Amino acid sequence: MLPMITEFINYGQQTIRAARYIGQGFMITLSHANRLPVTIQYPYEKLITSERFRGRIHFEFDKCIACEVCVRVCPIDLPVVDWKLETDIRKKRLLNYSIDFGICIFCGNCVEYCPTNCLSMTEEYELSTYDRHELNYNQIALGRLPMSVIDDYTIRTISNLPQIKNE
Amino acid sequence: MIIDTTEIETINSFSKLESLKEVYGIIWMLFPILTLVLGITIGVLVIVWLEREISAGIQQRIGPEYAGPLGILQALADGTKLLLKENLIPSTGDTRLFSIGPSIAVISIFLSYSVIPFGDHLVLADLSIGVFFWIAISSIAPVGLLMSGYGSNNKYSFLGGLRAAAQSISYEIPLALCVLSISLRVIRLSNSLSTVDIVEAQSKYGFWGWNLWRQPIGFIVFLISSLAECERLPFDLPEAEEELVAGYQTEYSGIKFGLFYIASYLNLLVSSLFVTVLYLGGWNLSIPYIFVPELFGINKRGKVFGTLIGIFITLAKTYLFLFIPIATRWTLPRLRMDQLLNLGWKFLLPISLGNLLLTTSSQLLSL
Repeated sequence: MLPMITEFINYGQQTIRAARYIGQGFMITLSHANRLPVTIQYPYEKLITSERFRGRIHFEFDKCIACEVCVRVCPIDLPVVDWKLETDIRKKRLLNYSIDFGICIFCGNCVEYCPTNCLSMTEEYELSTYDRHELNYNQIALGRLPMSVIDDYTIRTISNLPQIKNE
Repeated sequence: MIIDTTEIETINSFSKLESLKEVYGIIWMLFPILTLVLGITIGVLVIVWLEREISAGIQQRIGPEYAGPLGILQALADGTKLLLKENLIPSTGDTRLFSIGPSIAVISIFLSYSVIPFGDHLVLADLSIGVFFWIAISSIAPVGLLMSGYGSNNKYSFLGGLRAAAQSISYEIPLALCVLSISLRVIRLSNSLSTVDIVEAQSKYGFWGWNLWRQPIGFIVFLISSLAECERLPFDLPEAEEELVAGYQTEYSGIKFGLFYIASYLNLLVSSLFVTVLYLGGWNLSIPYIFVPELFGINKRGKVFGTLIGIFITLAKTYLFLFIPIATRWTLPRLRMDQLLNLGWKFLLPISLGNLLLTTSSQLLSL
């Protein structure tokens, strides 16, 4: 008789404990209910990207010396550097330069190792297209500077800092 | 000659009148049914909106806001999208069972709305067995789910259908026992099980007369097992995404897929309404010392106003209660199948039986 009673008491205690845990769970759920939404209404609001954001790569054609360091440090040898050796001035002349952003992993090695700083990272991240071949940017497309989100008056910008919103 | 024609005319007009009367009778019979169906559909839209907005609030999102004011029409937009989608039928499945399944699930739940009193005696069918009609009817829905799971000819669908059937049958028993322990008192008071009488039995003492205070254990058991009956989140094993793709809904597309959603929300609404009727005092204002019928009882306009207030109170209680299932959805993780059956058979069933025993003995003592 006695073990049965202790078993009953144990069972009751377990049930009460389970109920208390469920109650604690509900308190957490409800405490989230009166917080501000953390989402961004994307096409109308955009985050201000951080300084070290690694977006689309910008390329300055005139600075490039066609040394191909970017190709060597690239994990997949992605940049295509098309150059010709000009024998009269004994220098390499750059003809074409392209990066395929459908394959690029935005690691930033090329930017880091470029000896003449002709490569740089921009804050542009909206690269989607209907055709993947359009992602293969040549030197002209790479030379375009993206419009800054802050300058675009149609978009409300939101700083990345938690809980602080720019009005 | 002339007399004859007039006679014939009068006879004709009489028969016309008779047929008109019949038509009017049929229309008069259909009118409340159609009104109820329309009202329920709007109620489901409101539930979908509430669920999305509350879920968004809990998850620190905004939720629907572009379809209509505050996104109220979001459910309509989703429904229209599903209507316009292609209706795929698996070629090796059982086409008849596949097509009938969802409609059985929806119709059986629609039927159970006929015994819910929305206002003072405002009920489609005031059956003397009332709540047990709901218990009986709600057992048909898993048959529909089982049919659709079997007809899909897909192992995930079939597993989902079997789970739905097992779950509904196991949780039906504690549900029925809870209802039984409530109805004992009603039987003693008015010798019937009608839902109207159940509400009337709680009308005294306002807020303190609710069955919630007489049957706290029953209320909790009813809450848990109605969640399981609706296949809401802690018990949504039949459609567990990670294990069964989408359970019995896997092969469905288009409006048949939508019907399952309608069925699940209808089920949620009906069990919430039954919680209101059984435990939260139905259409009564439930504030002691204020009696609605006395305030607007005498003239006809006052009566209509009183009925409207009754409907409003019922719906307000129902939708306020809905916050609990929706908050539960984002709080509790899904159970395993064995945990589900353990909870049903080893915890809820003995507890509801004990509750019934307690209620019966107290009824005996008070007699």
